[in-house]
Amino acid sequence: MDHTPTRTPRPHLDDLTRSLRTPLERVAVEHADLVEMIRRRVVAARPAASDTVAVAAFNSSI
Amino acid sequence: MLKVHSRCDLSCDHCYVYQHADQTWRDRPVRMSADTVRATAKRIAEHARVHDLPVVHMVLHGGEPLLLGAAGLREVLVELRTTITPWARLDLRMQTNGVLLDEELCRLLVEYDVRVGVSFDGDRTANDRHRVFAHGGSSHDQVRQALALLRHPDHHPSYAGILCTIDIRNDPDRVYEALLAERPPRVDLLLPHATWDRPPARPDTAGTPYADWLGRIYRRWVDEGRPLSIRLFEALEPGGGGTEAFGLAPADVLVVEADGSWEQVDSLKTAYHGAADTGFDVFGHSVDEARQHPGVAARQDGVDGLCATCRSCPVVDRCGGGLYAHRWRTGSGFDNPSVYCADLLRLIDTMDTYPPVELPTRQPAELADPLATELLDDLATGYGSAHTLDLLAATQLSATRALLAGWRERSGPTAAWELLVDLDEKAPEALRAVLAHPFVRPWLVHRLTPSARSGAGPASDPLPALALAAALRAGAPATLDVPVRSGVITVPTLGSLVLPVDVDGTVEVTVLPGAVRVRGDHVAQTVVLDTGEPEAGGWRATHRVPVPGGQLLLEDGDPYRDCYGQPVAPRLERSAARAVSRTLAEAWRVVERDVPVHAAALAGGLRALVPLAPDQKRPLRSATARDAFGAIALTPVADPETVAVLLVHEWQHVKLGAALDLYDLVDPEPGHRIRVPWRPDPRPPEGVLQGVYAHLAVTRVWQARAAAGRPAHGDAVAYAARFLTWTREGADALLAGRSLTAAGERFVGRMRQALEETAAGPG
Repeated sequence: MDHTPTRTPRPHLDDLTRSLRTPLERVAVEHADLVEMIRRRVVAARPAASDTVAVAAFNSSI
Repeated sequence: MLKVHSRCDLSCDHCYVYQHADQTWRDRPVRMSADTVRATAKRIAEHARVHDLPVVHMVLHGGEPLLLGAAGLREVLVELRTTITPWARLDLRMQTNGVLLDEELCRLLVEYDVRVGVSFDGDRTANDRHRVFAHGGSSHDQVRQALALLRHPDHHPSYAGILCTIDIRNDPDRVYEALLAERPPRVDLLLPHATWDRPPARPDTAGTPYADWLGRIYRRWVDEGRPLSIRLFEALEPGGGGTEAFGLAPADVLVVEADGSWEQVDSLKTAYHGAADTGFDVFGHSVDEARQHPGVAARQDGVDGLCATCRSCPVVDRCGGGLYAHRWRTGSGFDNPSVYCADLLRLIDTMDTYPPVELPTRQPAELADPLATELLDDLATGYGSAHTLDLLAATQLSATRALLAGWRERSGPTAAWELLVDLDEKAPEALRAVLAHPFVRPWLVHRLTPSARSGAGPASDPLPALALAAALRAGAPATLDVPVRSGVITVPTLGSLVLPVDVDGTVEVTVLPGAVRVRGDHVAQTVVLDTGEPEAGGWRATHRVPVPGGQLLLEDGDPYRDCYGQPVAPRLERSAARAVSRTLAEAWRVVERDVPVHAAALAGGLRALVPLAPDQKRPLRSATARDAFGAIALTPVADPETVAVLLVHEWQHVKLGAALDLYDLVDPEPGHRIRVPWRPDPRPPEGVLQGVYAHLAVTRVWQARAAAGRPAHGDAVAYAARFLTWTREGADALLAGRSLTAAGERFVGRMRQALEETAAGPG
């Protein structure tokens, strides 16, 4: 049995840089996986992961 | 690979360019002409554009590329960067013998973000066995001086590593120690080029002396905890990934000779005269034509392209048949195992039976990705090259665009979205400047967070303000409905417009040349922007601080700057803003004085500074928000020396936060805490990682101040010692725990190594 905690999938560097060349209008269609991955990693996962340092305030979070 | 100069100032007897079967160098021009560089750059740019390549890797090679001199090299670099960079990220490298490297050349290499590999064979005896001048004199001292220059913090971003050609007559321990002493980011050990026609020197025809020699170094390297990256060993590990010499990945190297000829990989020169020829050149043939040459195409087939012996070998996925050139035998061509086959087999066996630590059975995703290891290794030095910072900024911009697209999916089509799409096509730089603003992502994240969404009405739609800002920047005429909050329209990156009435809702805004016209239920006015008069017509332009390389926004108006978990200061009075600007500009000069590499990094990425609200109980505070890449918040402090430390500290958090968006360095184990020396309560692992990374940079600031011996910094030695201890103990606590991923262990291990180099000082 794998007890490893579930992670949100991470975006691939190449996908991120490639999407910059896609017209904004087509990003959601041509990079649907990336858009969803970013949403899950940046928006959805952040509040739940209490140990993630979203704010690195001097002498408070580190 | 570009052969920018075809002659060399050394006369190494093991050089495959001059001393082996191929002698085509004799008919080449001495140096690559400007026309050839231009034609090459155009061919590569064309290929990147047609195939939408995200990155092009290019190595400046020779002969000896530094024979171009600083002026000649600059011309080449300008041409390559100017022509190729608009189409793809250009990863520029250079392989040199280092003899001619001086401070001027180092500055040039850093300026153009060129990472340098130096050919160096180890201790004096080993190096001078082959690497000598034509008169027989030693090159050892000159090469060591070059390596010392590259180690200097100002030049370290350009230090890629050392290429060492082995000779089994040398003492492996002394070679290993000599390489380690140069503190390279990476070492590659190269088997001397040989073929079945011209086999390598072996004292005993039945033995495996190359495996034995390398095995000695391997065991010591492992015993000592892998203190540096050795590419040969890492490539031969299970799942180690491909290199030109090992693995089954398709060959992806083309060479442009000094006369513009397209050639196959240049190690083929060891096989026979003309072995690398394709018959194509950059003037008449594209990259696609060159790569369809049968010699290149034959190397795209993986295991199917190997001889029968290799295809049936159980470790073929590790060595991949060895270097292509090493398979050559007159008669059967390249359809043979490597002439080093027995050594490779034995070395792999040594590696598999000498595991002092339990190796992971599966390569973690980050470590199997060369781009990821390169980026993380570079950041782990505590600095980060211009290329790495550009890459982080690009990924952050991409994430913001993805969030924007996600918001559009929720909000449906609007006029603001249509305007953004139009500007993306017609004025991409204007839109890019707006979307790269640090507080766009916090805005989008806030709107996309489920708890915030329920109260979202038209007034909370972020798109109109972004479209308005981009249209103003582009000078594009537009009319759209824009949200007003408490009588204020926020225009990200530019400022805010205070309406004469305190209303909430939306107003119609028309972009005019240098002005905006506003119409609403209680307002109708035209406001000329940037009249030079403060707040004329209610327009509050964002304060701008001149700093090296551009301007920094002193952001006290954007409502989404309030993302630091502590109160931000309200709009500053003009006198207060001028005072903060002066302190900031001076602090920047202090960073440049103390650690110029960090000043360059700030210049490359810091866009905005947010004043925090003063608090008498905690007068000295600074902060970074994970979602606000490119911004730092701090309490207005009058002392530039203090602000300089805070800038360096916080910029570390910005870099590492962006890397953590991409890679998992810490295992998500809720509740796990680690004791740290800088505060009494145990901290979460990611906080410790952030702390160690920041303290590493601050250590270097105080060490520089201690070394300068200024009377004003009488306590610098003590501060340097304190931060050194904090960093060391924090890193050790992370490494001792179970909270790091494999990539995180590698990152912290390398950071720990960088710390010890810092403790030893440059040189």
